[in-house]
Amino acid sequence: MSGLIGTSVPRRDALAKVTGAARYAEDLVVEGAWFGLTVRSTEARARLLGIDRDPAFDWSRAVVVTAADIPGENVVHLIEDDQPALVADEIRHHAEAVVLVAAPDPATARAARAAIRLRTEPLAPVLDLLAAEAAFARYEIAKGDLGAGFAEADLIVEGAYRVGHQEHVYIEPQAMVAVPEADGGITVTGSLQCPYYVHAALARALALDPARVRVVQAETGGGFGGKEEYPSMLACHAALLARAAGRPVRMTYDRHEDIAATTKRHPAVVRHRTGVTSDGRLVAQDIEVIMDAGAYATLSPVVLSRGALHATGPYRCPNVRVRARAVRTNTPPNGAFRGFGAPQTELAAEVHLARIAEALEVPAAELRRRLAYREGDVTATGQVLRHSVAAIDVLERAEEASDFVAERARTARARESRLLDAARAGTGSRGLHPGAERIASGVGLALGWHGAGFTGSGEKALASRAAIELAGDGRIRVLTAQTEIGQGAATVLPQIAADVLGVPAESVEPAPLDTALIPNSGPTVASRTTMVVGGLVADAARDLRAQVEARAGGPFVDNYRQDALTHGPTRVDARFEGYPGIEWDQEHYRGDAYPAYSWAAAVAFVDVDLDSGQVAVQRVVAVDEVGRVVNPLLAAGQVEGGTLQAVGYATIEEMGVVDGRYRNDRLATYLVPTALDAPAIEAHLLEVPFPDAPHGAKGLGELPMDVGAPAVIDAIHDATGAWVTELPATPARVLAAIRALEEDRHGEPVDEGVP
Amino acid sequence: MTAPATRSPAVPTAPAHRFTVNGRPVEVAAPGGRRLLDVLRLDLGLTGAKEGCGEGECGACSVLIDGAVVDACLVPVCQVEGREVRTVEGLATDDRLDPLQAAFLATGGVQCGICTPGMLMAGRAFVDTLAPGAAPTDAAIREAISGNLCRCTGYGRIVEAIRLAAEGAADGGAESVHAAVAAAAPAGADLPTAAPGAPDGSAVPVGRAGLLDLDDPPAITPRTLGEAYAFLAGGGWRPLAGGTDALVERAAGIPDPRGYLDLAALAELRAVRLEDGALVLGAATTYAALRREPLVAVHAPVLAEMAAQVGAAQIQGRGTLGGNLATASPAGDSLPVLLALDAEIVVGSARGERAIPAAAFFPSYRRTALAPDELILRVRVPLAPGRTVAFRKVGTRRAQAISVVVLAVAWRWGADAARGTWRDVRVALGSVAPTPIRARATEAALEGAPPTAEVAAVAAATLAAEIAPIDDVRSTAEYRRVVAGRILHRVVRDAGGW
Repeated sequence: MSGLIGTSVPRRDALAKVTGAARYAEDLVVEGAWFGLTVRSTEARARLLGIDRDPAFDWSRAVVVTAADIPGENVVHLIEDDQPALVADEIRHHAEAVVLVAAPDPATARAARAAIRLRTEPLAPVLDLLAAEAAFARYEIAKGDLGAGFAEADLIVEGAYRVGHQEHVYIEPQAMVAVPEADGGITVTGSLQCPYYVHAALARALALDPARVRVVQAETGGGFGGKEEYPSMLACHAALLARAAGRPVRMTYDRHEDIAATTKRHPAVVRHRTGVTSDGRLVAQDIEVIMDAGAYATLSPVVLSRGALHATGPYRCPNVRVRARAVRTNTPPNGAFRGFGAPQTELAAEVHLARIAEALEVPAAELRRRLAYREGDVTATGQVLRHSVAAIDVLERAEEASDFVAERARTARARESRLLDAARAGTGSRGLHPGAERIASGVGLALGWHGAGFTGSGEKALASRAAIELAGDGRIRVLTAQTEIGQGAATVLPQIAADVLGVPAESVEPAPLDTALIPNSGPTVASRTTMVVGGLVADAARDLRAQVEARAGGPFVDNYRQDALTHGPTRVDARFEGYPGIEWDQEHYRGDAYPAYSWAAAVAFVDVDLDSGQVAVQRVVAVDEVGRVVNPLLAAGQVEGGTLQAVGYATIEEMGVVDGRYRNDRLATYLVPTALDAPAIEAHLLEVPFPDAPHGAKGLGELPMDVGAPAVIDAIHDATGAWVTELPATPARVLAAIRALEEDRHGEPVDEGVP
Repeated sequence: MTAPATRSPAVPTAPAHRFTVNGRPVEVAAPGGRRLLDVLRLDLGLTGAKEGCGEGECGACSVLIDGAVVDACLVPVCQVEGREVRTVEGLATDDRLDPLQAAFLATGGVQCGICTPGMLMAGRAFVDTLAPGAAPTDAAIREAISGNLCRCTGYGRIVEAIRLAAEGAADGGAESVHAAVAAAAPAGADLPTAAPGAPDGSAVPVGRAGLLDLDDPPAITPRTLGEAYAFLAGGGWRPLAGGTDALVERAAGIPDPRGYLDLAALAELRAVRLEDGALVLGAATTYAALRREPLVAVHAPVLAEMAAQVGAAQIQGRGTLGGNLATASPAGDSLPVLLALDAEIVVGSARGERAIPAAAFFPSYRRTALAPDELILRVRVPLAPGRTVAFRKVGTRRAQAISVVVLAVAWRWGADAARGTWRDVRVALGSVAPTPIRARATEAALEGAPPTAEVAAVAAATLAAEIAPIDDVRSTAEYRRVVAGRILHRVVRDAGGW
């Protein structure tokens, strides 16, 4: 070990990015490439009766691909085989791909697209997740005796929480270039997270020998889960057109199409019924989770699984039932998004816990301290938390770093004085007597956890492979399928290898993300890159070092170049074998759901405009415990970016759905935070190393997404006295909650107390 | 689309446009309506500026024109004639990074990198225009980059990088820029290669010609008002000032067969002066000009206040009063202000000029009182000493937000016996009806009254009953009705001091 772990090794890709030299998919020059477009459904559900081509258009100028032209299976390979690459008979959601066209230039392609008519017969759609009966997945987690738990309770607290869609808004839209090869194979280069997902999908839809499919990642302008599964669809489309045209075809979505057609974070309804004793113990948690999967399964079964497994929050309770289902509706499919089901259920768990504290009249922070998991505690699935449990650590650090107790006292005083003022000014018409102060400040806290890596036996089933190679010319490369999507994978994995090899960080490079070169180390998802694949890279590097040192009889760093010249290239592959002692029963949802958990707490400071309900999040203190921190600068960047996505989710990111169609389908209407909306974010990283990974790292990328939103909702409550139970807390929702309180208070004595 | 036969006179389909890019002269033959973004990326092979939305929302395509930051997706190339364009490729010189680039590396301001070129250019504009001795405050930097979305970093490290560069604390260093370019080759060495990136303007780079849009509209740049009138009368031309509506509509696929009648050469449309007891603002006065124009600060500071809340730097630098009027969106931020100020819109054609009161300018949803051959020339704001104007915009975020409700209230204080009462009250709103409106019943409730709690409550209730908002993609009718009353109540309360 050369002490590189824990140092901010410079980001390898940054120089190309600041000079404009980095090449994203749309920047690539592809000789003779045609331009591909998609004809999409305009109904939520319909039978496709026929596809008509306007005879007035000169069809010799374009190629057209329909479901009938697919040489392989008409599926986008993922968990289920339910989603077609192109609609064959039944349209199941708005903006579903039905026909593809390509032409030498965009204008001709647009004209071709406009010359295609879909003949359809409408069918009755299912649009409401609560009315949907069909489900892609159902799980039940049970622990203890729920009935006995409620019998023991002194108080039962119920709550229902609702969250809407969230759009990723990676700033680079989906883009893909497909090039047909002379041997009948296909090479696809594009913006993507998971090259081997795309690889498998292409082989299947095009009925190709996997050896003739090549997938290359171009520089990728953000993913956040949004480029986990959708690129498989787009790659199939571009490849189908390229085969039909006999030439390269480029497909790049414009923003409108990207929002209209690609996956979102699952909307959800989460209901809690909790039995509590008067001395502040949870004795029964009965939780129902309903997620809207949309029209196809995509990743919904695993998103739901993660949501269900995090639904209790990180709190001790002997009797638990979690019932979860992902229902089918005729809306565009939802999929992976940073947090993967956990942000929805952890929002509900945290807001509900704060309401329990309110009902018990104890400070929520105090209740959390009493209930939060500690080493040796047992989760709802029966997992004994044997190591690296840091709930109390992050909670205490967050309180300390934010001066939480004093800040809460300050906001309480301000709230009381506002109420007095409102009562004095209560001479106006009913419902319109805002106080003298227009802005109310509040501070809120949330605690969360995030299982790192694939759920249950997922990592074992993946059996990821990673490699390290000492080339004949003395260059060292790590070979993985982990894509650089902004999070720093291209820097961190070589850094881990260099640390083990005892060489400077810049002496190890990442191999190009090209399936012709790299082993399948699994997808770049689930906060697994640094923990799982980083561990494999460390193992492989250790082996390489040992081989070279055995041959040379001296330190690797002094001998590897000569070793390469003398012995030629050395490559070491490492295969994931499973973490020790991790057992999972998928059928009964019992056992060790994740090899390790990361822990987070956030404190949010908000200003609420009492006239308009606008919420300004001014500051967030984010404390994240992620095991060993490999690269502090990059890790802090993950915490800060994830926190802002959570703040946007909490406040302004609203995706309306009208008749199954996304209403906010442009960046002028789906709003994400600008620099002026972003709070000052203070990231604090804590380290409780994961003993079963060679480098001690746990997952990081998704964790901050779990706690930001409930902290903001808690802060809005602190400011106004109103609970907003539906995300996002738009000005309209916040104002409605404020007005409900104003109406309640109208005419009441001033000393009635703060609700 | 091809030009309609009625358009006159005939214009070359791809005239030559001459300007400089990163200090080098270029000449590009293209329809005048081609986006600068396409000219840079496709004609010149400079792919540093990225397309994230095509409608001026994300800022990924930000470049500088004569030092001002613009969204290259909203600038037709005809308006770049003779000007200096700077792109991210021009920041590093002689293999030495710009201090701003070095600062982004040092602070960790780069993650996925797709917003980085635009951020750097917005940051460069901020640093270059910072007044000597002025502190680069966090708030000022955030405002300067509020037209540039980043989804990775949370912005803090970008703000820090710009601050360092502005304070002169960042050093470019001799990072090997050539090495960066070489390292940026895509994954497989035998795969699609990078664009050549030589801005010599000689030809469309090989392999990119297929991306050029054959539908790019033509443009014509009249040198005199008379010429402009003649084109308008001939038909087939859409007046274009800053392009912040016209090019957005095109990106949204709204068909418009007309070419662009580029108003950039008509200097009289940018003049701001005092004349006959009025502040006269040329129709091509930008929001940025309203914010910095001393006559506005003295005589109608509410216009500067309003302009500061429109879009962000890229939109404020290009969008104009005349454009806002011509688009006549019910959500146009300037329109209620002009209504509250009793402004007149002076329009002209070959037939002569006429003045239209703002209150008569918006007959129906997105319609104006303009005849097809008329051009908006200027806005006259009568000087009214003693007038107070309050402005309040409610949007969903703090920059780049189309208003959910916009309110402008003007009044003067009564004298002598009428002391303490409001006179000449104007209450104007946007986004609460099919057009920007004056709330006449509410005005009547306030006229001659003192700003007391009782009056505020009656006025707010009157307003809520008077407006006709709708549910739309931005908010609900209920919310608009309620919030309009509450912000008016607050304006009255603030004036009354209770």
